[in-house]
Amino acid sequence: MEQFFQQLTNGLAVGGIYALIALGYTMVYGVLKLINFAHADLFTLGAYLGLTLLTSMALTNHLGPLWGTLVLALMVMGLIGLVGALLDRVAYRPLRSSPRLSAVVSALGASIFLQNTVMLVYGARFQVYPQNILPTAAIDLGGLSVPVVRFLVLATSLIMMGGLYLFIQKTKIGTAIRAAAIDQEAARLMGIDVNRVILMVFLVGPALGGLAGLMVGLYYGQINFTMGWGYGLKAFTAAILGGIGNIPGAMVGGLLLGLIEAMGAAYISMAWKDAIAFCVLIVILIARPTGLLGERVAEKV
Amino acid sequence: MKKLLFVALVLSFVVGQAHAADTIKIGLMGPMTGSWASEGQEMKQVLELLAEELNAKGGVMGKKVEVISEDDGGDPRTASLAATRLSTQGIVGVIGTYGSAVTEATQNIYNEAKIPQIANGSTAIRLTEKGLPMFFRTCPRDDEQAKVAAQTIEKLGVKKLAILHDNSTYAKGLADETKALLQGKGVDIVFFDALTPKEQDYTTILTKMKAAQPDFVFFTGYYGEGGLLLKQKKDMNWNVPFMGGDATNNPDLVKIAGKEAAKGFYFLSAPLPKDLPYEQAKAFLTAFAKKYGNPPSSVYAVLAGDGFRVIAYAIDQTKTTDTTKVADYLHKDLKDFPGLTGKISFNDKGDRVGEVYKVYQVNADGQFLLMP
Repeated sequence: MEQFFQQLTNGLAVGGIYALIALGYTMVYGVLKLINFAHADLFTLGAYLGLTLLTSMALTNHLGPLWGTLVLALMVMGLIGLVGALLDRVAYRPLRSSPRLSAVVSALGASIFLQNTVMLVYGARFQVYPQNILPTAAIDLGGLSVPVVRFLVLATSLIMMGGLYLFIQKTKIGTAIRAAAIDQEAARLMGIDVNRVILMVFLVGPALGGLAGLMVGLYYGQINFTMGWGYGLKAFTAAILGGIGNIPGAMVGGLLLGLIEAMGAAYISMAWKDAIAFCVLIVILIARPTGLLGERVAEKV
Repeated sequence: MKKLLFVALVLSFVVGQAHAADTIKIGLMGPMTGSWASEGQEMKQVLELLAEELNAKGGVMGKKVEVISEDDGGDPRTASLAATRLSTQGIVGVIGTYGSAVTEATQNIYNEAKIPQIANGSTAIRLTEKGLPMFFRTCPRDDEQAKVAAQTIEKLGVKKLAILHDNSTYAKGLADETKALLQGKGVDIVFFDALTPKEQDYTTILTKMKAAQPDFVFFTGYYGEGGLLLKQKKDMNWNVPFMGGDATNNPDLVKIAGKEAAKGFYFLSAPLPKDLPYEQAKAFLTAFAKKYGNPPSSVYAVLAGDGFRVIAYAIDQTKTTDTTKVADYLHKDLKDFPGLTGKISFNDKGDRVGEVYKVYQVNADGQFLLMP
């Protein structure tokens, strides 16, 4: 039983990161019907930029670990948001009225470009975050030792997801995003600046991806220019699992995928971990082709 | 003026020809470019230094030795072209190369051209199981590593062992071999499974492994995952000792894990150049550092040097450049040749006889110490 709860926390920590990345995929898809393949590389870029800022500015030395990390996170989110907006301007906006396939190819190209840029700038070897920035203490939960950082990762993910949900549901620009997601033309006729909405989406989605990259760097310590691939694939799967285009769906999908992986590995077979996760995905998609929370998406398309 | 130049050219050509006929050529095929470029370039440095020393002592059979190197790019296709080029240049033997798949692409080319080939870094078992009379290697085989792993595990008094691999041919092979060797040796294998390489969260695997309560873990994968395992194991407050295969032999492992988590980690490796305990090795290391400004970093480059030394010795002893006789000599008559990496003899398959793998442990400063 102890092992079960341990695996539960393991799964939730990984799932929280999947969910945070999945939000970026799902937001862009919801508005543009475009799978932004470059999102995984923005995540990688977030991890690398975080490392550069951390080592060059020594924020955590000046401001203490809590405020230093917070300022660092805001800086990374801001920078990656800008890169995301730039990406939209350069790679996607010129193709807005062309067939959807052109934009997908452009996304793949952007992904390759970003990944190789990171490799050329930082080199192909593993990069390592300085250790002991985050507290190393562990909380004892009835014989179950859970590192504090793990709670921080999960809590950050949940806060970000909650914030995003409120942003989309309660604010004016959030309403505009939802309107553009339902019908861009109609939204335009209602006086919504759709290009501004899309810009917003490309600011917020990548910013969350960049934050996930920073969290991975801080938490796991080791980063590599190809790390976006694995996380991107899993996060994309999570978005589909929850119903792509649907924000609560991405959260549910991410956490669920993390749990399925952890439990499959723990109780069935570790070597078959990914296969189990994808089998579950297939079964769910056969039963519910639009994903778990995907029904609301149906009316959008 | 033009005439003079022409005469000079012709003269130099003639002299060059005469000179060429007077040397004994030994080929070097190594990855001078590509992802293993640092290995190949060091192999070349080692061979050039050894050839220089040998020629200063009078060469082989009274002739100078000349090293002809070709780049294999660390790629099987480039390598087969390099092998074809080398085999037409009248070489008596060839040293190289590093990667097993790259070597495999060239084995038949040299064998048909009857040129003895001494590989320096190709550890895949199958290379010497083909019965090619011209193929040798100075590096150990992967099953040698398993043997040393099994012995070390027994020697450390392990009762409950966990083995973890990453499903790659190399890592799974090493894991399977070790498991088979430990059968019936009183070591209970309580855990045997694979992780997915290139991930970052291995806590699921560690949690599952911990539940099996092993008192020792053998991880056969690479250093990137090895470092993360050590780090996350420490974060879980789990103090089980870990041992890695030779793919974990990289200073980046300590960087990823942190010195504290890496402390006490065992790994298997051919001896690092700094730990080669032989007189020849020490003299060689000094000479190398003097010529190039730094000691050799890769043991495989030194193993290439040993390949060169045995082939030069065999030519000298047999007093012939008949390659079949040279290969025969290497198979049958070469016994306990004092190499830079220890005594060298070859068996019928062309494998090096004896144990080369050593056990290393990471100390508190993150340095690799040779275990007695």
